[in-house]
Amino acid sequence: MPVLLLVLFGYGVSFDADHLPTAVIDDDGTELSRSFTEHFFASGEFERVEAEGLTAEHAEDLFQSQRAIAVMVIPRQFGHHLMRRESQSVQLLIDGVEANLASQVEAKAQPVLQSAVLAVQHTSIGGPRMMATRGPIVDVRATMWFNPASRSALFLVPGVVAFILAVVCVLLTSLTLAREYERGSIQQLFVTPVRIPEILVGKLLPYFALGAVAALLVVTAGTWIFDVPFRGSLPALVLATTIFLICVLGQGLVISVVTKNQMVATQVATMTSMLPALLLSGFLFPIANMPKPLQLISGVLPPRYFIDALRAILLRGNGFAEIAPDLVAMSIFALVMLVVGIRRFSREIA
Amino acid sequence: MRAAFYAVMVKELRQTIRDRRMMALLLVAPLVQLFVFGSAANLEVEHIPTAVVDHDRTIDSREAIRRLLADGTLDEVRVDVHGGNASGDAAPDIDSATRALVQGRVAAVVVIEVGYSRHLTRSASGARGTPARVQVIVDGGDPNRSSVASSAVGRFFQAVGADVVTTRIFRSGPQSGVVGTGSGEVSLAPRVLYNPRLETAVYMVPGISAMLLLLITTIIMSMGLARERESGTLEQIQVTPVSPLVLLVAKMLPFAFIGLFDWILATVVGAYVFDVPIAGSLLLLGATLLYLMNTLSVGLLISTVSATQQQAFLGGFLFMMPASLLSGIMTPIRSMPDWLQVLTVVNPVRHYQEIIRAVLLRGVGPADIAAQLAALAIFGTVLSLFAATRFRKTVA
Repeated sequence: MPVLLLVLFGYGVSFDADHLPTAVIDDDGTELSRSFTEHFFASGEFERVEAEGLTAEHAEDLFQSQRAIAVMVIPRQFGHHLMRRESQSVQLLIDGVEANLASQVEAKAQPVLQSAVLAVQHTSIGGPRMMATRGPIVDVRATMWFNPASRSALFLVPGVVAFILAVVCVLLTSLTLAREYERGSIQQLFVTPVRIPEILVGKLLPYFALGAVAALLVVTAGTWIFDVPFRGSLPALVLATTIFLICVLGQGLVISVVTKNQMVATQVATMTSMLPALLLSGFLFPIANMPKPLQLISGVLPPRYFIDALRAILLRGNGFAEIAPDLVAMSIFALVMLVVGIRRFSREIA
Repeated sequence: MRAAFYAVMVKELRQTIRDRRMMALLLVAPLVQLFVFGSAANLEVEHIPTAVVDHDRTIDSREAIRRLLADGTLDEVRVDVHGGNASGDAAPDIDSATRALVQGRVAAVVVIEVGYSRHLTRSASGARGTPARVQVIVDGGDPNRSSVASSAVGRFFQAVGADVVTTRIFRSGPQSGVVGTGSGEVSLAPRVLYNPRLETAVYMVPGISAMLLLLITTIIMSMGLARERESGTLEQIQVTPVSPLVLLVAKMLPFAFIGLFDWILATVVGAYVFDVPIAGSLLLLGATLLYLMNTLSVGLLISTVSATQQQAFLGGFLFMMPASLLSGIMTPIRSMPDWLQVLTVVNPVRHYQEIIRAVLLRGVGPADIAAQLAALAIFGTVLSLFAATRFRKTVA
């Protein structure tokens, strides 16, 4: 299951789209506007749908039947204005239903349009010499460190590790203890001479092992399938994973002791571990942009710190010094969970 | 027959409602998910921590830095020079800036190279020469954030370059090859339909309704059935003269009701809090019923193969994760690799998600979503037949 999840997230979760289906309404219909359209689609970011003869009324239809997510309207006199070098604008209608995709379309269209205009000016009208033949005025060189190919898998793998551990450990621990409560077999355990710490360790250890194996599996599979680098220190990784596992096991313990019912435990665990690990941890969505109350919740829960530490170790090659704050935050959470869990658990027996 | 059906259904309803904590959770959980998804699932990035290294140290470079930082995409972070304290106006050097990048204290480093101002002035006077140089180093660990950072810098300096060209044209008057008055600029005028302010909540809320229905009707229902199997009450019902099919439908209905109730709750709250439009109610109801046929059958299938609640949960989870990840609720299907896009065709969640967004946000009619409706109907029929056969086999 961990590997399946990794593959799903690694391939399935990507926000970057190309070949965006785009229709063109050419109100100009000249040689220049056609050449401009051709250059516009040459980049591959946009893909042309519905070839010729569209009018404004078709735009709505195209969106409603989901055949296009953008429609470019080339105004009348486009070629004329272009020849005379007069300022003008080309309208781009965007289907805003998928907001993230729509803002991408908007961002991508700008440079594609500019280069198409330059190309048309250059080939068809001989072009303004200073723009086409000279290089840029300011040359901006961007270098991407730690992930030169900008692959999202490198960003996601640490998140998948945290997500899987949160799900496996919190949910399964809370279910197994809640089950004993449901069937009443927990009382049988209490009357045996086994002491509380021994019961708990015995109950939690298998899930600790399971979590450790899952973590190992995902990190290994990540390095093999997605070429995720391992640049940092291994002891730091082991320590961070151990503390995080104690966090999630403790959380599962508290949930089961409080709920004592498997179905309720599932719901509570889903809300307090799976959902935050997916949404509030910085796994997929940037934390800095969330509303303040959500940022606070995110600051209390351990997945955020674990993901931060994993990214630091795997991608940036950090060691203990850099991830110390993350380790401290997770340790506090683990301690609180264990103390609360053991307290509640012991009170049941007394 | 009818009496038996009624009796089992009342028993199921009572049993579900009696569990107060469970009912409370079934009401609270959708609201929590709605708020968290509605406000957290946003990819926009602002205030990216950035270290700026100014090798040029001129009025032009300082002005460029000031304006670059002004729009809020990049936030300057003071990095210590040589590990010491950044006292006064000691600007960071490249080493301390990149060290901060490695330590994760900044996500981008902008370096203005020596001669920036000189090259810019030379270009402005029309002389040919080397371009002014600016370097951006970004932390690729978060591809989304790093591309926002580098494109913000790229766009800014492109505009600086364009300014230089414009002033040059105005200064030197009409040149040969340049006709007309303007700079010949073609601008893009984007207009976003259906969701003009590009609010994430508007498109996430319909998606969440789809996920909620899935969660309640697959995981919770299969766990409910597994619980009966665990406690042995399923066998007790089997010895009664209630036929398996009646038992089945009567057991499913309460969960379908709870699911529908949560769905209405999410839609109403979404409309009031996040301004999600409500439209096409009858069409949606039909689509929702078809969707429920799919998810309930999956829940039933899972319960027939699991002996304990733990197994039922894992089974449900194993179905729910891929089904929701590959549905297009969170990430666009278009950005998946082709082979995965093909796989999403057999995913009922994908079709329902497309219907619900199209109806609520684009206000389409049945003709535009006929394909999705047909897919749901076909999958629903196949799944429910299969599940019913399996259930009868395990009960008999």
